[in-house]
Amino acid sequence: MATPQMRMEHSASLRLEAIERRPAVLRRQSTLRLLGAERSEEIYPVLLEEVVALGFPRALIGMADFESGDLIPVAALNCSRKYQQRFRVSLYAGDDPVIRVLQAGNPMVIPAAGLGQNRLYCHPVVYRNRNFCWEAERERRMDCLAVENFKRKRRLQLQEQGCAICELRAYAGVVLVDLKPSSGVRQIAELRALIEIANRYLGRIFRTEHHYNRMTDMEITIRQMETVMLSMADPVILTDANHRVIMQNKAAERFFKVPEQVSEGRIRAVELNNLLFSAALSSMAVSGSETSRDLTLVDAIEGEELLFEAVCAATYSRDGLPTGMVTVMRDVTDLRRADQEMRASMEKLRAAEELVRQDRDRLNLIVENVGDPIVVSDGAAKIVLLDPLAQELFGPDKEGERDPIRIRNQAKLDAYLTTFTFSFSDRDSSPLRLVHPGSRGEIEYDARSGKIYDERGQVAFTVTVLRDFTAVRKLEQLKLERRMLEIEKFAATGRLAGTIAHEINNPMEAIKNAIFLLTDKVQADSTPVYQILKSETERVARIVRQMLGLYRTADQVGSLEINTIVEDTLLLFSRQLEHSGIRVQTKLGKLPQAVGSADQLRQVLSNLVVNARDSMSHGGVLQVRTRHLPAPDGIHGWVRILIADNGSGIPGNILESIFEPFVTTKGEKGTGLGLWIVKGIIENHAGKIRVRSGVGHGTVFKLDLPVVR
Amino acid sequence: MTSRKYRILVVDDEPSVLTTYRMILEQKGYDVVAAASSGAARKALESAKLDLLLCDLSLEEKDSGFEIIDYARSRQPGLPSLLLTGYASRDVSERAQRSGISVLFKPIDIQEFLGTITTKLRNAHEQAQASGQ
Repeated sequence: MATPQMRMEHSASLRLEAIERRPAVLRRQSTLRLLGAERSEEIYPVLLEEVVALGFPRALIGMADFESGDLIPVAALNCSRKYQQRFRVSLYAGDDPVIRVLQAGNPMVIPAAGLGQNRLYCHPVVYRNRNFCWEAERERRMDCLAVENFKRKRRLQLQEQGCAICELRAYAGVVLVDLKPSSGVRQIAELRALIEIANRYLGRIFRTEHHYNRMTDMEITIRQMETVMLSMADPVILTDANHRVIMQNKAAERFFKVPEQVSEGRIRAVELNNLLFSAALSSMAVSGSETSRDLTLVDAIEGEELLFEAVCAATYSRDGLPTGMVTVMRDVTDLRRADQEMRASMEKLRAAEELVRQDRDRLNLIVENVGDPIVVSDGAAKIVLLDPLAQELFGPDKEGERDPIRIRNQAKLDAYLTTFTFSFSDRDSSPLRLVHPGSRGEIEYDARSGKIYDERGQVAFTVTVLRDFTAVRKLEQLKLERRMLEIEKFAATGRLAGTIAHEINNPMEAIKNAIFLLTDKVQADSTPVYQILKSETERVARIVRQMLGLYRTADQVGSLEINTIVEDTLLLFSRQLEHSGIRVQTKLGKLPQAVGSADQLRQVLSNLVVNARDSMSHGGVLQVRTRHLPAPDGIHGWVRILIADNGSGIPGNILESIFEPFVTTKGEKGTGLGLWIVKGIIENHAGKIRVRSGVGHGTVFKLDLPVVR
Repeated sequence: MTSRKYRILVVDDEPSVLTTYRMILEQKGYDVVAAASSGAARKALESAKLDLLLCDLSLEEKDSGFEIIDYARSRQPGLPSLLLTGYASRDVSERAQRSGISVLFKPIDIQEFLGTITTKLRNAHEQAQASGQ
């Protein structure tokens, strides 16, 4: 009971003696009524009724409203509205007697303010208690507001009516009772005791209410937290200090809770998950600094393996002792997969890059070693790349300036590139005469170009390689000179043979005529000898005639219009061929100029035409065709002359040796020199001759003569 | 007229060849005048009317067979002429063709030689008859 204590503290202690003597019955009744109050506001009317029951005419309770800073009447009995309003004052009105009493903290009787008015008993009610509240006790703190207010020595600070420990917003107010003029000390003491008891109950209810509210708030918070936790897509697990699961959300249950109606495999999966999880927690707890770790768990429902990143945070009690861990797990399977894929792509890219680099290096090496100037230009025929050799021809010199030679060279190149780039051909080659800036000599290049297309089929780049044509030309010139020498040698031999033949010719003529004159004049027994003389002389005559043909091959080596030579030769023999009933079919292609001896070629053709004619004694068709066969390098090539008959053909056994001297199919009429001479001439011209023949079908000769562009 | 022997002038600077030609032609019943040089040939042409001229192309003296034939034709237009040569060159063929001269290349096949002479004389005779009528 607070009464003895109060008596010690308050100045009106003498008067309080009487309260002890008040009949206990009455007090018990009032106390029980007050105890019946469930809520703080229920206490006010009960208190007022009990006050009036003590014989006071009217009473009023005013409470401090800390928000408005006013003292507000909250309950009143037998008080008019106007009367109540009298006590609505600011808490800071220091000169108001009621406020002064409230601040002072001691009950006081305020004398009547004027005539017809009663004295006013003013009793402050403040949240206070002799004992610490549960919170203060649990937290071992001494600054409990209730005790502070109880022990208070100084003026009440209305602003401080909040508990630092339990955050309770305390109350402060006054109970105002009109005293009758007859109200004595005893009555007032009784009133005072009643209010004290009421205040004690009020404080208790207030505290209970506060704790209830707090609990309710906490519950709401917990529920909210739970909702947050459950609604998280990532598994969240709350564990105690022994790593036992206290709480987990739905996402976590997938891995750590054994689902109903599930296979043993799944159960094992869950067990394994739990094992892995607690192992991870233990090791993290031991390491202390580690807060996250990768964990591979098996989804108990879907059965797939997932990679998680477990992030842990330790939980502590108020006094700093670890109470467990909160673990949030993030599914990083896709992330890791993406990461791995990215790594793999990166690797691939790096490898590809390496490949490209190697290719480029290789290409560069090739380009550097080609030894020919190389020019790369874009789809608009604009030069984008020059190799060092091309740089020499077209590029600026060291000082960044370009001399007129280079400018002229580039103009020529540009003209060529433009024509090629916008032409329809994929590749092209054409001669390009440029001047070398170093030697200032003219060089004939063979510009060979190709196109590179982009995916839309547009020309992306063109590559042009300039081949120094002078070297090829020089080589060809050398070859030609050698060939000319051969031809010349052949001609000289021919001339010698011709001269000899001519010298033999006249005596031969005389011998032949003499033999003729002796016909019928030789004796019968000498006739065989005469016949031998006659036939052998005729044979010598034929050989001489053939050799005479060589005498004419004295002309100069030069450019040959092969088609013209063919036409002339055929014209020469046209009457003979017509006479033999031979039809001539010609098909002459467009040919480049060849180099050689026109007369020798004429002899070749004549010999072949004569052979053809002789093989077609009963008529036939002589085909003569010419054709250009270009070589892939674009520089060299061949001219082919084909001479075909459909005459008697050459027997296989003779065909092999047909080009050897004195081999003939014409028996007594042939010399066996014609094809031998033909082969000699063709070989001197660096040409090739081939023959195909079938007895009864005819013979085909193919002559290939080299040409240089 | 028909019984008259055809007179043929043969020109060749090789005596042995000339002799054999003359002997062959005489054997065939022709009246043969032989000349071993261009000078002798000109004299022969000036002295008598001829039916046929056989001339070797290359002669010892400056004139070639072509010049002798030209000379003969200037005196006796349309005289059938036959050029004999050992040089079977195109130039000769072409020149002979242009001038309407037949060419026989040595060594000459005697049957062809005699055949050509007969043909030439017959053609000339027929032409003369045709123009005479």
